[in-house]
Amino acid sequence: MGALGRQWNLTRLWRGFAGATGFLIVWWLVGREVPSYLLPTPDEVVGALWTELVSGQLFIHLGESLLHYVPGVVIGVVAGSLLGIGMGWSQVIDDVLTPVVRVLRPIPPLAWIVFAIIWLGLGHTGAAFIVFIGAFWITFYNAYEGVGNASRDLMEVAATLGVDSDWRLLWRVVVPDALPEILTGVRTSIGQCWMMVIAAELFGAPGVGYEIITSANNLAMARSIAYMLTISAVFLLSDWAVRRVRSHLLDWQP
Amino acid sequence: MNYDTKAEIDVNGVSKQYEGESGTTTALRDVSLMIASGEFVTVLGPSGCGKTTLLRLVSGLESPTDGDIMVAGEPVQGPNPNRGTVFQAYHLFPWLPVRENVSFGLVEMGVPDTERRDRVQEMLDLVGLSDFADAYPKELSGGMKQRVGLARALAVDPDVLLLDEPFGSVDIQTRQRLQQKLLDIWSDTEKTVLFVTHNIEEAVALSDRIIVLSGTPGRVRATVSVERSRPRDRSAQWFVEQVETLFEQIGPDT
Repeated sequence: MGALGRQWNLTRLWRGFAGATGFLIVWWLVGREVPSYLLPTPDEVVGALWTELVSGQLFIHLGESLLHYVPGVVIGVVAGSLLGIGMGWSQVIDDVLTPVVRVLRPIPPLAWIVFAIIWLGLGHTGAAFIVFIGAFWITFYNAYEGVGNASRDLMEVAATLGVDSDWRLLWRVVVPDALPEILTGVRTSIGQCWMMVIAAELFGAPGVGYEIITSANNLAMARSIAYMLTISAVFLLSDWAVRRVRSHLLDWQP
Repeated sequence: MNYDTKAEIDVNGVSKQYEGESGTTTALRDVSLMIASGEFVTVLGPSGCGKTTLLRLVSGLESPTDGDIMVAGEPVQGPNPNRGTVFQAYHLFPWLPVRENVSFGLVEMGVPDTERRDRVQEMLDLVGLSDFADAYPKELSGGMKQRVGLARALAVDPDVLLLDEPFGSVDIQTRQRLQQKLLDIWSDTEKTVLFVTHNIEEAVALSDRIIVLSGTPGRVRATVSVERSRPRDRSAQWFVEQVETLFEQIGPDT
């Protein structure tokens, strides 16, 4: 690369900086002209964010969200992977469950909110349930595809090297071969599930989403946006972390 | 050369048919051959003559429609690490470093850790890849990949080595080096080798015996003994003549 490549990257950074600045200026100009309950200015949002940070409220509400987000994602990802691997591998399981899966999978996770409320109430458990369903289907689908596309050739090689049971074949060839797809499912789940979290909280579960809606109800729009930006920050952070883990686990990929 | 008269590989009246959408294809018809213990036999034939099918039948990856195959006095029923197989497309496990690729069969055999490490090191030294023990397959050239493939098949110390056009995807210099390497290993270990190729020169340079297969369907057209000491001079009169004779036997479709 050398100097040319660095200059190129610098140019692109400048463009990004210019774009962000332009956005903020437009936002500020518009925000100045309209009442704050329609669109607060960037500095009002920064002020609200600061207040929430200093008072510790932001961390409390973020903690509430994480309390249903994390278990929902973890259980959903594990269960989705297991079912995806099972159905992708076994013709019998595939045949038995395909009709059920076909019907249930297109249902948006949020539609289950009625059952979440009736069965579990809209606390952490109910919200975690919604998150679980989101993570489950996303990971399921990726694991299923990944196992279905696992290399026949490599399974044959394994057989010539003494692998003689389904379990060994799954453990030593099929799952490692499907790992890139499974991890794509995990990454997508981690992103998509923030949507589930916020949606569940808009219905009343405690957390960042609940703060967004209650602030808006009080016309404290700057506070709403502060919490919206919090979601963005947490998403970026978790996505970055997953990408790091993923590239570490998959550094064998060409 | 005198070999043990007991056949290590005994292919008896074997036919193989595939049922396809366009009807039945016969890949092999009534093929019989015997390979003595420690013998180096090449199956030579044009593309599509069924020679890979024959090798897959001996390896146990497929079963014959008719006839039977005995290896070391036992009927072939599925793959077995005692018949080490090397594939043209290498088929290394991309997620495993070289060391663990070589170690794959040893793990399945339940060889203890320290013993396994020693054996892997021995194999890596044998194929000259000790410096690449921790590299992933993506970092290797074609010739190096095939050396790993060879080491992986040899690690479990099989009595029979089955090679399916193993050097078909590497450049000519590398091919000749790998051929010599294979001959060295063969004469050191006294393994029985079944080698499949469409390359006449390769067959003449390596084999004790060449079985010429013609297709389609594949049948044994001729068996040629090459009773010359190795290494063989490819520009020698007899070599050139042998290649020409075989060329005529195989026919114009090569």
